[in-house]
Amino acid sequence: MNNVCEDQIFSSIFKANSKTIFNYIYYKFGNEEKAHDAVQEAFVKLWENCAKVTPEKAKSYVYTVANNLYLNVIKAEKVRLKYAKGANDRTNESPEFLMEEKEYQEKLDRALNALPENQRTTFLLNRIDGKKYAEIAEMEGVSVKAIEKRMHLALKSLREQIDGI
Amino acid sequence: MQENYLAKWLSGELSEAELAEFKKSDEYASYQKLKEVSGTLKAPEFNVDSALQTLKEDHIGKAPKVITLNPFKKFLRVAAVIAVLLAGSYFYVSTLDESVITGFAEHSEVTLPDNSEIFLNAGTKVSFSKKDWDTKRNVSLEGEAFFKVAKGKKFTVSTDHGTVTVLGTQFNVENREGFFEVTCYEGLVSVTHNNTETKLPAGSSFVVVNGKIANSTKLSTAQPTWMNNESSFESIPLGYVLSELERQYNINVKTENVNTDLLFTGTFSNTDLNMALKSISTPSKIRYKKEGDNVLFYAGNATQ
Repeated sequence: MNNVCEDQIFSSIFKANSKTIFNYIYYKFGNEEKAHDAVQEAFVKLWENCAKVTPEKAKSYVYTVANNLYLNVIKAEKVRLKYAKGANDRTNESPEFLMEEKEYQEKLDRALNALPENQRTTFLLNRIDGKKYAEIAEMEGVSVKAIEKRMHLALKSLREQIDGI
Repeated sequence: MQENYLAKWLSGELSEAELAEFKKSDEYASYQKLKEVSGTLKAPEFNVDSALQTLKEDHIGKAPKVITLNPFKKFLRVAAVIAVLLAGSYFYVSTLDESVITGFAEHSEVTLPDNSEIFLNAGTKVSFSKKDWDTKRNVSLEGEAFFKVAKGKKFTVSTDHGTVTVLGTQFNVENREGFFEVTCYEGLVSVTHNNTETKLPAGSSFVVVNGKIANSTKLSTAQPTWMNNESSFESIPLGYVLSELERQYNINVKTENVNTDLLFTGTFSNTDLNMALKSISTPSKIRYKKEGDNVLFYAGNATQ
């Protein structure tokens, strides 16, 4: 029988979704500790209700719990993200180029933090976690079209911020 | 250009024409750069395995886990019914009287809950309630038994000829068809027969044969003789002596032209049938024939 109460199934749901929940909460509030707590909280709730939640519903269940957890409770902090090094294959990176890159990253950081929470979350879930718009829509509980709108606005705002328009 | 074209461009959903048009726009380079750099972004470290471990150790271990009973509900229902039936039948059985029965040529011994003892002679049934023993020491008897009663509350032996009540003593009760004998070996026994109470001191017996109270005699033994594998009789009609013989040896006894009302006084062995037959036939001046399990007593001159 496929039951979330079974350790194996529960663990596999955890492994598939915990990282995304962590990132999701982090993009929203910029608070790592709260993101860790959200993961724990969401899965404890899932475990307690494992008899009522089918494995198919488990994913949206944990997102809903995590989402509701800090609803209007905590203030968003600055989201700090890292940049993968050597993501491009240019070997002859001049100091000027590196300077420019660094400057650009700082601009992007500022622009990201200036975004409304829902646009930032949508943008980062797509860019970092590679989530499709449909998946983000499911997590946020809105239509795909609404996510596309957020994405469009996020890109637009970011470009304007960075280009100083 | 369609609605939300930036989102469509990022997910690669723009048509070729739209893409070509977008590429010509001034902002395209900026967006392209944004796409590239944002693709190298990384979220803070998150260790899935250690988070799972924390979850299991800190929360799930302690959290009152909600366990689904669904697969067991049916089983539990059945188990509950069985448990109720078992408990009910146990209760019913425990209220039933405990019985001990000896067949012919069989002796037995019963220890009662208060350590009183009952020794059953052949062809005897005693029953008592184990559950109510603390409040009511009551034994019903069919046949013959010797009682060693521990001191305590009133101890009653019920028979269809009457009841015997004592407080703590040793006595023998024989309750056979048409024959009732109570012998007291120690203490004082009260016998109620036909609503008449008779106090029986140690060393005396109370005998009723065919509804008539017979003379009782003094005893010389400390225990009924059958306890020592002998059957003793004091002026007892021969018919009862022969019935006892049948019980002790599990044989069939028949008589021919023998007066079974003749009173017999004497003892026969409960272990040696030939001796016993001689013990009965010689003083009664009758003869006997033995064929397997059948014995025939018939009138005639006594054997030499």
